[in-house]
Amino acid sequence: MRLSEIQKDALQELGNIGSAHAATTLSQMLNSPIEMGIPRVVAVDIAKLSEYIGEDPSAMVAFELQGEIPHGGYVIFYLSRDSAIRITNTMLGMTDMDRPFNEMDESALREVGNIMVSAYLDATAELLGFVMLPSPPSLVIDMAHAAMQSLIAQMQEEIDEVFLFRTDLICEEHKIDSDIILMPENTSLQKMLDLLEQMMKPAA
Amino acid sequence: MTILTSKNDQPAMIGIGEYRVGSFPMASIGLGSCIGLTLYNPEQKSGAMVHIMLPESQGRTDRPGKYADTAIPLLLKELETSGIRKNHLIAKIAGGATMFEAFSASMNIGQRNIDKVKSILSDQNIRLVAEDVGGKMGRSVYFTPGENGKVTVRLANGSCKEI
Repeated sequence: MRLSEIQKDALQELGNIGSAHAATTLSQMLNSPIEMGIPRVVAVDIAKLSEYIGEDPSAMVAFELQGEIPHGGYVIFYLSRDSAIRITNTMLGMTDMDRPFNEMDESALREVGNIMVSAYLDATAELLGFVMLPSPPSLVIDMAHAAMQSLIAQMQEEIDEVFLFRTDLICEEHKIDSDIILMPENTSLQKMLDLLEQMMKPAA
Repeated sequence: MTILTSKNDQPAMIGIGEYRVGSFPMASIGLGSCIGLTLYNPEQKSGAMVHIMLPESQGRTDRPGKYADTAIPLLLKELETSGIRKNHLIAKIAGGATMFEAFSASMNIGQRNIDKVKSILSDQNIRLVAEDVGGKMGRSVYFTPGENGKVTVRLANGSCKEI
């Protein structure tokens, strides 16, 4: 699928609105300001995925998109392993960085991801009038590329290229660097483009 | 016979669906349900590596390295073209993990990849001498033909093992 500049801008705006709502919830949970990077929509050839998502130890909270389109793609809340420990330390009032993840950490990460991704999808649903519901969260603490690759392999449509809507969310105070990534299937991407196009048409 | 060598000591990176043939170091990082397959001829100290994503091509031909059923015949042909003989080839595989159990219960792509690769190797009479497959963990795989076809598997926590 080739996107025009106008389509790309519209999708970036959609990512912007979703991410801004997710950032607000993260800021409330950490009681600290969050800086949001510029949302980007990139088309990535799967052979070059490792140039975008590396092998560093990471925490990824993944959600399958459900709703009007049953397998709409995935949303992933993605943090480095260190950022993941810092986020749970901040939430649980701990300071020890050099420790393995325990059940409390895992449950906190799933919950943070859940709240942020719900906010993201609520905002995009409100804008588009098209509901994408998140599945229950699934947490993987491992190589980021391996996790993303596994999600791509089980996408419904056979693809050689994925579209990643990616926004950096940074908390300076607690040194947390995270990303929220929407990876739609082509069916939901097409639906989003159609709805955005309708919105941009001048009212008759 | 031309054997390509890489420009420096960095391994050639093999992305999803890609493959290389030669005697230089090669690597695929972050395999989840994917499989890294190496074929190696010990006499010629050369071989090939491919990064397979799915078991069946279902008739698709544009990226043969992506599917087990097309990748293995492709490698054999490419090895032959490079003058690397089939009769002494040994195979090693790594990957085929199930990282997201909640999503993939019905699909089980990692296991299907493992099964398919093994069955094709067996059909082609290629000896599978080592494997590190399945489980839940991601793996990075490094292939060094120059060191007797050494294959090293690295996990997210940094631990390495030779297979």
